[in-house]
Amino acid sequence: MVIEQYTITTTPKYNFPHLIDTTLPQRLIELSLHSLKHVQNPPFQLNQQTFQQANSLEDHIQTLQPKLQPIPLKPKPQETMVAAVDTSSIKIGETSTGILIAVRGANVWKQNKSYRYIRLGPFLFHITEENKKEVYNALRRAYFNSPHEHDRQSSPNLLQMPTRIANLLERWLQKMFSKTISNGLILFDGSLTSGIADTPTQRMTEILTTARKRNNVVLAFSKMTSLRFNGYLITDVLLKYKPPYMLEMTGLKPKPPIVLLGDVYVARLTKGNYAFRLDIDKEVSHEHRIEAVEKLLGTDLFSQSYPETLRLAHILCTFTANEVIAMQHFIAHRYGLKIINRPDMHRLLFGPFGKGERRS
Amino acid sequence: MKLYKKEGNIVQILSFPNETVEKGDYLLIEDADAGKALIVQVIDVQFASIPGILEELLRSLPDGGELMQGEDFDPLEIAPHITYIQDAKLNICKIRATVENEGLSPSSSWLPSRSQSAIRKLPIPTLLKLAKIDGKLPIVLGGTKDSSFLTIDASSLDGKLNIITGKKETGKSHLSKLLMLNLIRYKVTVVVFDLNGEYVSLGMTADGKRNAYYNKIHVLTPSQNFKIALKQLDLHVLLSILIHALHLPGTSAREFRRIWQSLKERGSLALRELGEAIRNWRCNQHVRDALFSRYYALVNSGFFTDNVAEAMLLEECLFKAREEGGAIIINLRNTSAIDRQIVVEYLLGKFVELLTSWKLKAIFLFAEEAHLYLRETYWDDIVTRMRHFGIFTTFITNQPDTIRQNIYRQADNIFLFNFTNEHDLEVVSRAARVDAETVKSIAVDLPPHYCLVLGKVVKDFPMVAKVKALDVKTMGETRLFFKDMN
Repeated sequence: MVIEQYTITTTPKYNFPHLIDTTLPQRLIELSLHSLKHVQNPPFQLNQQTFQQANSLEDHIQTLQPKLQPIPLKPKPQETMVAAVDTSSIKIGETSTGILIAVRGANVWKQNKSYRYIRLGPFLFHITEENKKEVYNALRRAYFNSPHEHDRQSSPNLLQMPTRIANLLERWLQKMFSKTISNGLILFDGSLTSGIADTPTQRMTEILTTARKRNNVVLAFSKMTSLRFNGYLITDVLLKYKPPYMLEMTGLKPKPPIVLLGDVYVARLTKGNYAFRLDIDKEVSHEHRIEAVEKLLGTDLFSQSYPETLRLAHILCTFTANEVIAMQHFIAHRYGLKIINRPDMHRLLFGPFGKGERRS
Repeated sequence: MKLYKKEGNIVQILSFPNETVEKGDYLLIEDADAGKALIVQVIDVQFASIPGILEELLRSLPDGGELMQGEDFDPLEIAPHITYIQDAKLNICKIRATVENEGLSPSSSWLPSRSQSAIRKLPIPTLLKLAKIDGKLPIVLGGTKDSSFLTIDASSLDGKLNIITGKKETGKSHLSKLLMLNLIRYKVTVVVFDLNGEYVSLGMTADGKRNAYYNKIHVLTPSQNFKIALKQLDLHVLLSILIHALHLPGTSAREFRRIWQSLKERGSLALRELGEAIRNWRCNQHVRDALFSRYYALVNSGFFTDNVAEAMLLEECLFKAREEGGAIIINLRNTSAIDRQIVVEYLLGKFVELLTSWKLKAIFLFAEEAHLYLRETYWDDIVTRMRHFGIFTTFITNQPDTIRQNIYRQADNIFLFNFTNEHDLEVVSRAARVDAETVKSIAVDLPPHYCLVLGKVVKDFPMVAKVKALDVKTMGETRLFFKDMN
């Protein structure tokens, strides 16, 4: 099926960084409009749900072992660009044939002591069983730049679609940073684990390679991890050392096709009981890794061990309730959808004991 | 606009940025199925409680309180929808009446449909027509927000107790002048207790020429062109002056009554004779001293004369005003506090006398800052007893707490200008014809010269109007030291 072309073009260039490849946003807009065009008339059910990007890859990783000695860190106040990427997706409603979702991404960077951002979206999609494959593959093609690659793979199920589309946008934003920044630190949200449908090893490797060629170091911070040591979450293992420090984790043996493109650390960067899993590009030398984290400590602000640039990226892409109402308003006005409230069966059946569908 | 909530007689209406609604506006909630409509007035405009708004605002200022620099690539143009939702307003409205079969009723016992009702702004002219706020004796108060005139009927001031209040320099005196001049047009007798000499030039235009009211404005300045002869005085009026204005004790008052009767019998009621009589009267020395001190206070006021020809002006002016309408301005500007009380005691007694004998039909009394000359017991007298004689008072003050609470309760009309002090608003909001929320919410935001009209003149539909300008020499401006330097 040929997807109709729309006379909407993306912004040809952005203020910073100089993103040269606008393929994905262009395709996102086209697909967004196309999918919404086919959603006219049926009423839609108000139902919003923010998707956590669950790190299911970790389930495939075997037991790990921490190195006994932590790596002490000393902040290096050296002018370095710090850039961060994050995306967010949300289900904003249901129709009789599918779901309405919104996706948004944010790039934030700190330069000359001030933060700047580019925010892309929200892109709205009406995903149905009929169009999910078409939408997903079209976006992947746009991302992978190869017309027929991976078309053989099955598309995700309907409920996975918001996360998958957000992941595609996130990879694209990461790619843009790796291509445009030099001598900087690029912060990813999540880990450097690859080998599944929306995080192919080859493409992830490409991103890291491009970043390295331009003398960038990729640091991936995971807000949540399920990696355990002696039954405890690795981020709960707090040593009696004065932060900032990192603790290297060894012995991670992921099952194929999962590949770890980074080495895993537990980073406790400020005082307090907060620590995060930190993945650093494997191909970067040990000294450069330490230097990168020290530069990050010297350049960026930290609150509860988490870098401000990444926090801002997360804040900027997250959907607020107000925005969800606005998107529902947009869809209702532009596409004439009638908003209805479907009764919550849990509440209906169990009254105050019904927790509600969203939490089920 | 959408009907959101109703609690008591308060209705909450949701409006969006393209629907401009302001405090004081009237809205009509029409329920076609019920065949009825609710008239509500906006008393407060708030931001609608939008979920996630705090996060939205915090997100816009994450860079140490500075606005974060950045670009939004929003191809579907959803941002305007976000601001549209963010700027949604919640209008807190007071139910004023129900429209049914083209008639108004004060009922608010029914509830219009939330989903089916149509809400629209009710233009003031339509409301005036619906509420029949016009009449045969129109007085244009000023312009409303939707460029129409707010016209009241002069008869709605007839027999009524009115209060004009607001903080300094908001236009109270201006409104009282406007009401007064319009009443004169309808051949009303108006008396003004002019504390600051603001009304003395009402017969002149702003550029100093004579205007249409020139012959109807009679300025009486106590002890100058306004004097009274003892022969004209009734004993009870003089005793009122002595007891209430000059605080003469009861025993001394009894002696004075005997002295007065003695002089009257002899036909020698004159100032000199009165002094002699006190001197020679057989009584306790303390009583004599007390009487003498009051006697000299009367003499020194300059308000009393033995020349009857000198003391005829008040009645002349009142009778002239009775025929063709007019205002008697009692200029109290340079009169001392005691003398003011003497003058006012005399006048009120005189008015009652003239009205009781039907020499006058009614007097519309405008009293500025009445607490400065009106004795305590007169407040109740004015609003109850004297009203039955035909004295219809309008109090003008910038200190609302100087007017007694029971006066507010009985006030028929209140013309309220801006007040920022909550205590002042609290006092005014005790008036029976006013709901406290309306007063507190609307009066606080009134710009200078804008007046919130409450009461019978507007058939209990509170309305805001910008008071019309007058082409008269108002003299109400504050004297400024730096005026010429600028």
